[in-house]
Amino acid sequence: MSDTVTVSPSSVDLRVQLGRLHLANPILVASGTFGYAREMEHLVDLGRLGGILPKTITMAARPGNPPWRTVEASAGLLNSIGLDNDGLEAFIEHHLPYLAGLPTAIIVSIAGRTVDEFVAMAARLDREAGIAGLELNISCPNVSGGVDFGTDAGLCGQLVRNVLSACRIPVIAKLTPNVTRIADIAIAASEAGADAISLINTVQGMAVDWRKRKPILGNVLGGLSGPAIKPIALRCVHQVRQAVRTPLIGIGGIATIDDVMEFFVAGASAVQIGTANYYDPTVSMKLLDRLPAALSEAGAASVAELTGTLQLPARPSADLPSKPSGT
Amino acid sequence: MTECNPLHAAHYPDQARCTTVPIVENGPLARDTHRVRIQCPEIARTLVPGQFVMMRLAGFNDPLIGRALAVYDTFPDAVSQPAGIDVVYMVKGKFTHRLAECRPGQLLDVWGPLGNGFEAKAVDHLILVAGGIGQTPFVTVAQEALGHRQYGTPPRSNARCGRVTLCYGARSADMLAGVGDFEQLGVDVQLATEDGSRGHRGLVTDVLAGVLRGSHGSRRILCCGPERMMQAVAGVAAQHETPCEVSLESPMACGIGICFSCVVKLDDGQGGWDYRRTCVEGPVFDAAKIRW
Repeated sequence: MSDTVTVSPSSVDLRVQLGRLHLANPILVASGTFGYAREMEHLVDLGRLGGILPKTITMAARPGNPPWRTVEASAGLLNSIGLDNDGLEAFIEHHLPYLAGLPTAIIVSIAGRTVDEFVAMAARLDREAGIAGLELNISCPNVSGGVDFGTDAGLCGQLVRNVLSACRIPVIAKLTPNVTRIADIAIAASEAGADAISLINTVQGMAVDWRKRKPILGNVLGGLSGPAIKPIALRCVHQVRQAVRTPLIGIGGIATIDDVMEFFVAGASAVQIGTANYYDPTVSMKLLDRLPAALSEAGAASVAELTGTLQLPARPSADLPSKPSGT
Repeated sequence: MTECNPLHAAHYPDQARCTTVPIVENGPLARDTHRVRIQCPEIARTLVPGQFVMMRLAGFNDPLIGRALAVYDTFPDAVSQPAGIDVVYMVKGKFTHRLAECRPGQLLDVWGPLGNGFEAKAVDHLILVAGGIGQTPFVTVAQEALGHRQYGTPPRSNARCGRVTLCYGARSADMLAGVGDFEQLGVDVQLATEDGSRGHRGLVTDVLAGVLRGSHGSRRILCCGPERMMQAVAGVAAQHETPCEVSLESPMACGIGICFSCVVKLDDGQGGWDYRRTCVEGPVFDAAKIRW
């Protein structure tokens, strides 16, 4: 890429490749922020999306946490939904047929309580047609044991390896920012062979009603999302990019085309739109409208030409991970 | 009418639009209560009574999340076509304080109409029960039930009711908003205030019990207000063996079924319960099915 090269918006190639996963464009919608997609069919042209991640499913149905489940923070949203879902078989019966018929990549988000449960879910989904990828939700802060696999590098690596050997579907590991060194977890996922790493899930937080002396969320603690966490997400993408070569999917407060471009430069090959879907239901379409011109302005003929082009100051930051991934 | 989305309530109209639209008027209606008029013909044309909209200040990230607000009524343009909506809101939080300061021309992100709304049903006596700011969804209901207006695209049938009563409770007389609007439509308005400054001194449930004792023929109760008040109204309705539907104000983050915040415990019909989304399966529910 050089300043003298000009790329017209119409000639920009929006396709991206994340390991074995090929997407028509890099704008995806994040799990838990887009329902089962059908809720959005009158507001969004679902086929234009690079990919859809339906709400996380678990092996058995879960009622989810008691209300209140969300409360607003400054430029952000705290949530503690608690993986409310009807379970794997109900998803396959009621939601997958519709999703599989959409002309976009369906990446199914799954959460298990044990390695065996993740593996059993992956093996079951492997028998179904129309699934482009699996995202392992090892980062939900709102269920007991939900973050164990995302906070322990050894467990994370073991989980990714076992799931990969149980199915033929490309696998993405979704990381939590609620760790001391996120790059360590990413290295484990990368060395285990994950096709891509998505980051970040929500940042743990809480809200208090001081007059009642009570927590506002029914589950006491929740996860913070929205523009408030974008700097944290960018930092995580940057740190992980320094540590692994596995393609990254940036998530965290993305709402504008500038946000999208920042994540590409920091090291992401694609992005997921989350909380912005709540307060601007057609945001994903607006970003797709603006993406070609933005890439053209950057002189990039494709997203890959922009990914990880961040120019760091000459003296590297002292706390970057020292060990690059073997992959 | 488009094909119904199976994830939504059976009569959810599925005609929501996302728009960025200007405020036409905005001003006080009663103490801490304001009315904002918004130019949004697409939403006004498809709205049916009991539906709501999500609203936020366009271009601002704080407050970030949209607020769910009931539609008070639609207003017509010069050729009597729906031009926009009126929303009556109580000033109590960050968003409504900012909204109260907005002038005509200020842009709002508005998406809707949302939710199932109240079905049109002809009965001899339609009884509306409102507490606090819960009167706001009932102007359109009364318009339709008394044959003044039709709503929706295509316009749905009026389902005329013989008589419409509004039992409306508030803390004090200065907080009652829009009483004249109901009286003008021919609604029999029965008021209650906690301090006795207007109408019955006490709770709106006392008023409701009196209305039910003097009521004959087929009846239907629609209720909107604070949760404890709706629960009490549901109890009175059950005692009088009268069907009762409540419009819930569960806290919402999206209004369109994608966040799973606004859940309510509902009977699953098999002896158990399940959390269901108020925004797409409600906000109107059969009171007998709610696990309060």
